[in-house]
Amino acid sequence: MGSVLALSSSPGRQNWPFSTDPPPSHWDAHPAHWDSPPRWERRDGRLPNPGSFHSLHRSCKDVFPQQIEGVKMILNKTLSSFFKVSHTLHLSAVSPSYYRFHVEHLQSDDYSKDKDAPALIGEMDSSGSLNAHALLHLTERVRARTVFQTQQSQFVTWQFETEYRGNDFTAAVTVANPDIIRESVILVAHFLQSVSSGLVVGGELVYHRGRAEEGGILTLAGQYSRPNWVATLNAGKGGAHASYYHRANKQIQVGVEFEASTRTQETTTSFGYQMELPEANMVFRGMINSRCIIGGVLEKRLTPLPATLIMGAFVNHRGDKLQVGLGINVG
Amino acid sequence: RYLWRFGLSWACAPTDCNSQGTSADRSLYMGSVLAAASPSPAPAAAGGSQGVQGLASFPPGFTMPPLSSVPPTSGSGQQMADADPPLPNPGTYEECHRKCKEVYPLQMEGVRLVVNKGLSNHFQVSHTVTLSTLGDSGYRFGSTYVGTKQTGPAESFPVMVGDMDNTGSLNTQIIHQLASAVRTKIAIQTQQHKFVNWQCDMEWRGEDFTSAVTLGNPDVLVGSGILVGHYLQSITPALALGGELVYHRRPGEEGAVTSLLGRYTGDNYVATLTLGGAGAHATYYHRANDQLQIGVEFEASTKMQDTTTSLGYQLDVPKANLLFKGTVDSNWVVGATLEKKLLPLPLTLALGAFLNHRKNKFQCGFGVTIG
Repeated sequence: MGSVLALSSSPGRQNWPFSTDPPPSHWDAHPAHWDSPPRWERRDGRLPNPGSFHSLHRSCKDVFPQQIEGVKMILNKTLSSFFKVSHTLHLSAVSPSYYRFHVEHLQSDDYSKDKDAPALIGEMDSSGSLNAHALLHLTERVRARTVFQTQQSQFVTWQFETEYRGNDFTAAVTVANPDIIRESVILVAHFLQSVSSGLVVGGELVYHRGRAEEGGILTLAGQYSRPNWVATLNAGKGGAHASYYHRANKQIQVGVEFEASTRTQETTTSFGYQMELPEANMVFRGMINSRCIIGGVLEKRLTPLPATLIMGAFVNHRGDKLQVGLGINVG
Repeated sequence: RYLWRFGLSWACAPTDCNSQGTSADRSLYMGSVLAAASPSPAPAAAGGSQGVQGLASFPPGFTMPPLSSVPPTSGSGQQMADADPPLPNPGTYEECHRKCKEVYPLQMEGVRLVVNKGLSNHFQVSHTVTLSTLGDSGYRFGSTYVGTKQTGPAESFPVMVGDMDNTGSLNTQIIHQLASAVRTKIAIQTQQHKFVNWQCDMEWRGEDFTSAVTLGNPDVLVGSGILVGHYLQSITPALALGGELVYHRRPGEEGAVTSLLGRYTGDNYVATLTLGGAGAHATYYHRANDQLQIGVEFEASTKMQDTTTSLGYQLDVPKANLLFKGTVDSNWVVGATLEKKLLPLPLTLALGAFLNHRKNKFQCGFGVTIG
């Protein structure tokens, strides 16, 4: 796990989804339109652009169910083609309940229509925690991204990323949490190159520096994709992360993931599947873990209402703990 | 004719009896084939349960099961009589507050799966798997047998109900009609291998009165036991008055508690009041229309020195196969339950959530019932 996330992960992350810490926010997750066109699409017989480093494992991770706990009500409202707003109310038994306001200003159509418009995403909590992303297209090939995250009044993350997309390669440099006073910074460099129509290789170099210590971690990455499946491997001194995604048919997708970390000296294997039944307006995601965690989440669209009902439960057999969640998404 | 026997309210001696409220409450409502055919889900016995404790609150298993709404003798207390009719039978003592209590939602937590299977006209079996966030998860097997002696359109006797836990806890009841007006019941409850409740009661229904005697946990060796006497009399077709006497005895200690009960039934409402040495309990049930029923309850306990008022409502939308129950409490507890039949499958989905604003505690759960 050579990513910055591993360095800054809190101890509760091992207990996912049962940790009482707030769930790790996807600060390294790009919005969906950031990675178009899909990787295995060819253009004029030339090698396609490999996409960004963060989304190497995305297709496998999307198969797994999201942690759900308590009752969550999400109200989405699209005010115009640029502006979207959503209100979230979460009543929870294990963590404090909150209200969250989320606003997005971004071109919701194909991004190439208006490249100059920056995408701004902001989220504010009832406890005052802020989450802000700004994505700018500086030129056709260069994109910049800024992320700010606070936990109540304290800044947790502030990072700046620049990405260059060549014809068949992607290079990105990220400066995370630069602190002049404490003389600490984390620098991450990513590089991905399309070697053949299905094969992508690349690497990540993380350099972190604090007042008393500094160090670097190199991770190599490789991904092989076919129309039906994708296999990805990240390996380095910080650990290994391998994932396999398979689309069995229109309805069933399967993902297998293996993670090993040298820092925590632990390995985890997870198996997840996603079953879509569009005639029944239903999506079911299930997963089973080597940590004896079994979970399932059912999403059902309640036509004719513009609402989606989400029900999920996660059982940790080892600790004999159960988490149950209900959610309703309107709009 | 008016034999008022006064009783004393009785403190629940076994401390863990409330925790066994789960299936024993369910089996209470099994006094007839109708009730046996559709058992209500057992209430979750959460630690911070907001269940209302009546002043004369019996531990589960100490009350006679409710009989169907059509008593074997002439009409129920709700029917209006004509010119010079005989007074109707008032029903049983425990049923008086029941109509209001049924409107309230049950606290749900965790995941529950119930599979009911009817093996024949007389025999029914149910499997329950509970995954709980607070307590223990487990499997429970329940069975109901209804006998061949038919006394009414929806009642047959004997009725035998039993269920067993995966830890070995047993709950069982046997109800039988000995004569046309006399009904008897034996109930036994164990917690793993230890016997917690064992009781026997007998009920006699006259033309316009009901009386019952219950002997609970009699222990000849130790010399302890509980004796409960009930009497309920119809004064007018709408008004019923009654009383209860509870006498308990332990080596070195004995005591008795009395309470009086009055119930008035109108066209679409029922008002009940219980007064006794241990406090007061008043309930009002109102049926607004075919879909909406409302219940208001007030309880005052001299032992706990506090009062509780709660409002509950039930919204029944049969066209959408939906049943919604909500409650608001003076303890700052808000809760709701939604039940929906997912036709054409024989499935019922139940979702529930309770929020205690004062203690800032939240509980939610869902369940699926098959069959």
